[in-house]
Amino acid sequence: MLDSNKDSLKLEAMKRIVAMIARGKNASDLFPAVVKNVACKNIEVKKLVYVYLVRYAEEQQDLALLSISTFQRGLKDPNQLIRASALRVLSSIRVTIIVPIMMLAIKEAASDMSPYVRKTAAHAIPKLYSLDPEQKDQLIEVIEKLLADKTTLVAGSVVMAFEEVCPERIDLIHKNYRKLCNLLIDVEEWGQVVIINMLTRYARTQFLNPNINEGSGGDKTFYGSDEDEDEDEEEKEKNPYVMDPDHRLLLRNTKPLLQSRNAAVVMAVAQLYFHLAPKAEVGVIAKALVRLLRSHSEVQYVVLQNVATMTIKRRGMFEPYLKSFYIRSTDPTQIKVLKLEVLTNLANETNISTILREFQTYIKSMDKDFVAATIQAIGRCATNIGEVRDTCLNGLVQLLSNRDELVVAESVVVIKKLLQMQPEKHSDIIKHMAKLTDNIQVPMARASILWLIGEYCEHVPKIAPDVLRKMAKSFTNEEDIVKLQIINLAAKLYLTNSKQTKLLTQYVLNLAKYDQNYDIRDRARFIRQLIVPTEKSGALSKYAKKLFLALKPAPVLESPFKDRDHFQLGSLSHLLNAKAGGYQELPDWPEAAPDPSVRNVEVKDSVRAVGTVTFRDTGGLWDLQGPQKVEGKSDSASGSESGSGSEESGSGSESVESEEGSESEEEEEDEEEKNKKKKKKELKKPVQETLTILHLVLCLQTIAPSSALKNYELLHRITGEGLSVEYCFSRQPFSPDANMVAVQMQFTNNATSDTKNLHMEDVKLQSGMRVKEFPEIGDINVAVIKNKRSRSCSKFFVSIQPPVGELMRPIFLTENEFKKEQGQLMGMNEITEKLTLDAKCRNEHAIVQRVTTAANLSRVPCGSDKECRFAGRTVTSSSLVLVTVATKEEGAAQLTVNCEKMLIGTMLVKDILLALTQ
Amino acid sequence: MISQVFILSSKGDHLIYKDFRGEAGSDVVGIFYEKVTALTGDQPPVVMSHKDLHFVHVRQGGLYWVATTTADSSPFTIIEFLNRFTALVKDYCGSLSEKSVQMNFALIYELLDEVVDYGYIQTTSSDVLKNFIQTEAVSSRPFSLFDLSNVGLFGAETQQSKVAPSSAATRPIQSSREQGGKSEIFVDVIERMSVVIGTNGVLMKADVEGEIRVKCYMPSCSEMRIGLNEEFSIGKSQLRGYGAAVRVDECSFHQAVRLDEFDSHRILRLCPSQGEQTVMQYQLSDDLPSAPPFRLFPTIERDSGGRLLMYLKLRCDLPPKSAAINVCATIPVPKGSVSLSQELSSPDQSAELKLQNRAVDWKIPRFPGGTQLSALFKLEVPGLSSASMLEVGPVGLSFELPKLTVTGLQIRFLRLSPIQPGPSQRWVRYVTHSDSYTIRI
Repeated sequence: MLDSNKDSLKLEAMKRIVAMIARGKNASDLFPAVVKNVACKNIEVKKLVYVYLVRYAEEQQDLALLSISTFQRGLKDPNQLIRASALRVLSSIRVTIIVPIMMLAIKEAASDMSPYVRKTAAHAIPKLYSLDPEQKDQLIEVIEKLLADKTTLVAGSVVMAFEEVCPERIDLIHKNYRKLCNLLIDVEEWGQVVIINMLTRYARTQFLNPNINEGSGGDKTFYGSDEDEDEDEEEKEKNPYVMDPDHRLLLRNTKPLLQSRNAAVVMAVAQLYFHLAPKAEVGVIAKALVRLLRSHSEVQYVVLQNVATMTIKRRGMFEPYLKSFYIRSTDPTQIKVLKLEVLTNLANETNISTILREFQTYIKSMDKDFVAATIQAIGRCATNIGEVRDTCLNGLVQLLSNRDELVVAESVVVIKKLLQMQPEKHSDIIKHMAKLTDNIQVPMARASILWLIGEYCEHVPKIAPDVLRKMAKSFTNEEDIVKLQIINLAAKLYLTNSKQTKLLTQYVLNLAKYDQNYDIRDRARFIRQLIVPTEKSGALSKYAKKLFLALKPAPVLESPFKDRDHFQLGSLSHLLNAKAGGYQELPDWPEAAPDPSVRNVEVKDSVRAVGTVTFRDTGGLWDLQGPQKVEGKSDSASGSESGSGSEESGSGSESVESEEGSESEEEEEDEEEKNKKKKKKELKKPVQETLTILHLVLCLQTIAPSSALKNYELLHRITGEGLSVEYCFSRQPFSPDANMVAVQMQFTNNATSDTKNLHMEDVKLQSGMRVKEFPEIGDINVAVIKNKRSRSCSKFFVSIQPPVGELMRPIFLTENEFKKEQGQLMGMNEITEKLTLDAKCRNEHAIVQRVTTAANLSRVPCGSDKECRFAGRTVTSSSLVLVTVATKEEGAAQLTVNCEKMLIGTMLVKDILLALTQ
Repeated sequence: MISQVFILSSKGDHLIYKDFRGEAGSDVVGIFYEKVTALTGDQPPVVMSHKDLHFVHVRQGGLYWVATTTADSSPFTIIEFLNRFTALVKDYCGSLSEKSVQMNFALIYELLDEVVDYGYIQTTSSDVLKNFIQTEAVSSRPFSLFDLSNVGLFGAETQQSKVAPSSAATRPIQSSREQGGKSEIFVDVIERMSVVIGTNGVLMKADVEGEIRVKCYMPSCSEMRIGLNEEFSIGKSQLRGYGAAVRVDECSFHQAVRLDEFDSHRILRLCPSQGEQTVMQYQLSDDLPSAPPFRLFPTIERDSGGRLLMYLKLRCDLPPKSAAINVCATIPVPKGSVSLSQELSSPDQSAELKLQNRAVDWKIPRFPGGTQLSALFKLEVPGLSSASMLEVGPVGLSFELPKLTVTGLQIRFLRLSPIQPGPSQRWVRYVTHSDSYTIRI
């Protein structure tokens, strides 16, 4: 059929062949016939042929070569899908002869226009590497190039390739670190997992341990909630740990991924937080992990394994979710056991009573293994928490009367362990257990009881010989393990109470002497020599008492998960508790922080490398010397270099305004300032490309100003000697502190010379009346901008005046809620003004627009069209601000503002009045 | 990194086998099956290893879906991948069963080829895959439904006459492209509740997990708007209005859902891609808006003849219009129970002593709301002691509540815009399953 002319027949034939492959049957003898069809026009047939080729090319190398030329043609196809699939198949054919061809194809595809093809190229890299490891150096070059790629599609795949080919070349990541962090949220989920894992490793080598300063007991953390990159060494000494801003960036950007639908992503972020975040912040992952407990049982199993490890180290984290770990009757046994483990780890003085009550009901379960595990768990709780030891012990003793042997046996074993800790108090329990020997049949339990009696025979002097007598009677029918303990008991009794038990011991030892098991025979012989004084016995028998009745240390019941935390969480090795192939140990934190500047500088470098366009700054290059000194310097360096390279560019080229941003965040005042630099540039080559490149840099760190926002002038260009500064209130939530208002500043240099080292100096909070009256104003800094020039320094005094409307954030209310809240804010808190609306502002839309421009409020849905309602909360005090604009005929209107803070109310009324009437 | 992926039937037949990296021998399938069958217990461990090779598997649709790996890759990735892959196969083949997999060898092989490249997962989004698998659409043989016509969408039997045949939703997404005309959307609101009721009848723990699933057979993707109850609120603080609010503690949405209208009007907007997807998931814990659906009033005593008497009254507190179906109460009984005699209040019920599980299963096919059923069980237990009375353990209930959500979540409307040309059918279904409903006695 394959030789037929008709595509449909070929298709049918190919399908049958593929079905054979799928079932694992050998179809290799059809190879020549199939290969012929590789050039087939029909895309369906072609795809199936590809499938076939990939499977069998290795076996029939010579014939496979016939098809190579087709793929080479395919690589030049205008359709990106065909290019990609040709590359994919080409790289999947594992024939060593074509390595050079593959290398060439990958290199070409790496600079392909289509990101999809570039992604395929990234996937092809590990394939080629496994085929011929000698190509490593060349491949690393390609990886380096692809790492610089800015599309989300490529990022995940290239990091996969990086991990496979050259995970040790961590230096390749430096310059792409920030980009990866920022792209992360848009990368497709499988890529996210790989990138997060890679970044975890990277962060472990590059940043300092955030918990380094913590004492063993204290929960206090010293890290600043904001970026602090003060280079000053003395500063560093005083303030022992400050988190690297890049470290912070990583944590901040991964946090939203905890909401991911993909369990793998959630777990990857969770392990990242667990390994990297300061103690106080690890808590956020608990909720996400608990959420994972609601998915498939397979996922549950793995999550619980990880949670169990985490609970040992950070118990507090999961305590609020205790109930989520309660066992459901439908859980499979292994999950039940894991949940028990977690519950046991979580138990402490406060919640132990609830946990024990839960455990009590679990004991009734029908699942034997689970019941046994529960009893063990009770034992562990009892050892860990002293207060409940007696309660537990009593509970366990009650279980001894259970009809189920397994339960009884398990309880005996646990009681034995518990009693060992404080035997003096519990001789009655030992007596009770001695009675049980008549009933219990499970050998392990019998052995445990006998051991207990022997060990503490001085506490029960009357019963012990009696038990031995009974045991001696049934000796021959016992299990080996019990027999050994009987001998033990006999020996111990002989030493403490030889009068009563001498004969019995002799009898037991004689029985043991002829036992079938050589172990028992050996033991009997050994003990006889040791304890029974004969003329031959040496010095040892003197010490027999010491040997047998030495104090034995109580066993420590600990979690089987105790030693697991040296494996990276979420890894296969952790799950197996053994090293899996290719497991990479998570590196320890470095002693001293490696130079953080590697990341900064290289970002610029990569920009320059990609954009071959050079530009000249006629307008001068602004540099921010804020707290981010290093970045500032590199900025100017790269800028001036590139600037000088194009000195001779003609004046006929276009001039374009373009922005380059850098963010400076000040930590001392907890105030974030978004700074922007505007550069005027003359561009020599394609303008668009530069723009996009610069734009990308911009996107990394700054929030582009939205046009709807009102700009205020901070420094006019004449007074500022060419420097003008504008600011606006971005109205975006200020992430480090919800009680702050973000101010965005925009710097424009209109002068002819470079201005360098621009920084804020002497930033003061405004004190006095306004601060007292409006606590919100405290958020806004009054800045003094110092402008150092090459010849002189200039200082400008500026101040930021926030309108009252910016000191609030919008909230959402329903109409009912609005009315209810309004009802509570009557009287003194209500301010009403009559006004005549501006002629342009008669319709609803215009009113809404003007009010929201004046104040940062959100609209409340409203039944009547005569009324517009708005609601918000002040940023610091969270007091409610409600605004109503009721319109009447001919532009008359009434404005009502309800606000708890009367002063804010009056000021807001003024502002809105102004906005509506002008 | 995945070395191989294979699908095994429960009997151990190879259905699909694909080797991505050529790292492991071909006899791994056999090794895996031996390992799985050698283990006893209700569930073999998720990860098993043989020498350097690690098997990760999930069981769905009665099949083993296995991936192997040699390197240390995140087990989550593999498990999640297998789950996604089963979902994809379900989308493309209509249902998950040995038969459907067998009939679609070529298609699944294609899928696998696109999803995984050299052991690296490329994408599992059906939107992206559509571009590549398109060529294979014809290759999926029209899949016959006759043998599945009595199976519900989620394995659940429904007894509603007004509803579309339950098999309607189990068809491959691609056949809709061929048939063209019939465009349908199924929306299911599924809730699972786990409840623990204490000995004194007090609700000790209640958890409801719900999800809204959309299964879409629209040839062209248009925007869909799902309106939920207006009173729907999330979290404790955010109570809306004064009426009976529908409250959940937490909810999460599919990434394709746009929520611009959610805050104001509780409308979810999305462009569903073909196949099945979970649009929204939500949880409610520790608080049920209404009384728990079942209460049990047990009396347990020992009669003079040494038999154990269990008199059970089971009350259904659902609204009178609704009913629970397939109710099954499992009552653990003391060890050594030999035989059971029963008195049930109506003939359609049945009860049976399962010696293996040491439990009595009491089955009630249909249980209307507001009614009460009673049963008297007499158990012959040799050597009955007072201690063994304690072994009458917590009663587990499994049931299904069709046309009802415990949280009260309802879909107000389901609109498609722009309006589809030709007839489009929209189905909405509500169902609540019991996840674990335990009554302690």
